[in-house]
Amino acid sequence: MSEHGHAHDDDALAHASHEGIAQYIYVFIALCLLTTASFLTYSDYWPWHEQPKIGWAFMMAVSCTKAMLVILFFMHVKYEASWKYVLTIPAAFMSIFLILALVPDIGLRGHWVSEERQLYMAEPRGTRKPMVRHGDARPAHESSTPATSGH
Amino acid sequence: MADALTHIPGAAHHEHDAHAHVGLEYHPGLPLSNGKLIVWLFLSTEIMFFAGLIGTYIVLRFGAPTWPLPREVHLSEPIGAFNTFVLICSSVTVVLCLEAARANKASLAKGWLLLTFLLGSVFLGVKLYEYNAKFSHGIYPWLPHSRVYEKADLNYAAAVRLRLAELDSQLKADEDALKATLAPEAADQDPAIAELHSKMEVVKELSDYELAQEKIAATDPVNAERHVALEELADKVSPLPLHHGEEEGWNHEHSWLKLPIRIPGGNMWASTYFLLTGFHAIHVLVGLIVFAIMMVMTLNIARANVVENIGLYWHFVDLVWIFLFPLLYLF
Repeated sequence: MSEHGHAHDDDALAHASHEGIAQYIYVFIALCLLTTASFLTYSDYWPWHEQPKIGWAFMMAVSCTKAMLVILFFMHVKYEASWKYVLTIPAAFMSIFLILALVPDIGLRGHWVSEERQLYMAEPRGTRKPMVRHGDARPAHESSTPATSGH
Repeated sequence: MADALTHIPGAAHHEHDAHAHVGLEYHPGLPLSNGKLIVWLFLSTEIMFFAGLIGTYIVLRFGAPTWPLPREVHLSEPIGAFNTFVLICSSVTVVLCLEAARANKASLAKGWLLLTFLLGSVFLGVKLYEYNAKFSHGIYPWLPHSRVYEKADLNYAAAVRLRLAELDSQLKADEDALKATLAPEAADQDPAIAELHSKMEVVKELSDYELAQEKIAATDPVNAERHVALEELADKVSPLPLHHGEEEGWNHEHSWLKLPIRIPGGNMWASTYFLLTGFHAIHVLVGLIVFAIMMVMTLNIARANVVENIGLYWHFVDLVWIFLFPLLYLF
């Protein structure tokens, strides 16, 4: 590498500047609107509170859009040469492999849990017994099998 | 890296110079400056670092038997949204700082940089406030400070009993120490002693209740009665709030008690929350330190590359928060 690399660097910068400050303001407004959109899932106006997966998918879509806006315009990646793929794509693949590698041991850890371990584990929401004393006389382990023991 | 040789467009008139330089220039393999290349290489390692952390969080969270709701761990969604807004604003100010530096408006660039620094400080301040809300409720990612228990079982009841016994002996020791400094006739009138006595009464009352619940649990160790008795105890100490900001229970009425609390999934939540937000906060702090160093520089066009490089880092920090906010506060 040499300092002369600035010549090409400046091309990308000049390209970015070409669009002007107005573009940054548009991106900023879009980011604010998208943040409000993801916050909408928390409000009472969100109609799918009972189906959290819809909210999760929506929020991830919003986050990815926001991330793309920041990367493309604020980090000027839109105007960079192809070297951007050399640095970002392998890193992204490494991340995906790392996450996938965790799934068998960590993600599915609840599927093969020992009885002893289960004694100290938190119970899944909704499996707690009703607060009635002298009621149900069945043994506790029959009426509150954790869902994660699953199969 | 294979270097190519290219002609400089204005090289022709250089050849008229006395020693007639050959008008060639080494062309880098990658069309970007050394500094920017280093920053992008660093950022690609950072992508893997945070993707690893966030990915681990997702895998842990969805593999967990249960996960606490934000209100149960005193996490406020509006505060998180506010912090997101602050970081987005700081991303805009840093990019405007770069534009000002490129336009050779050094003082304007410094103004935007100062604003970025202030916004970053606001973010960290809000984060500290949020951390404090967790610590004041006994939610720590480590022992012995953490008072979080996964469920209301006999282990939990024993922890409550031990804490009450500890308080009892501590209060008695305090009383003895105080009495030693006072005349016997003055001790009965002393307000500090009276306060200790009222605390001791509270501890006695709670210990009696706790023992009664344990006795009910012991009479029928495998059925629902045990479960109900211990759940009642945990609810008395600190019930899981049904609404945001709802505070009740012994721990709230007597803040000096600091009894163990029951939050299902709370320990794994605390570990992941503090790890993710802690590493992000460290990155924000590093950014602030660099901004502070740059405040003494003249941010003219000669420094535009420096501004761009720190800007790239700052945008990345913003990028990480864009994913952390919904994952930690809204999922």
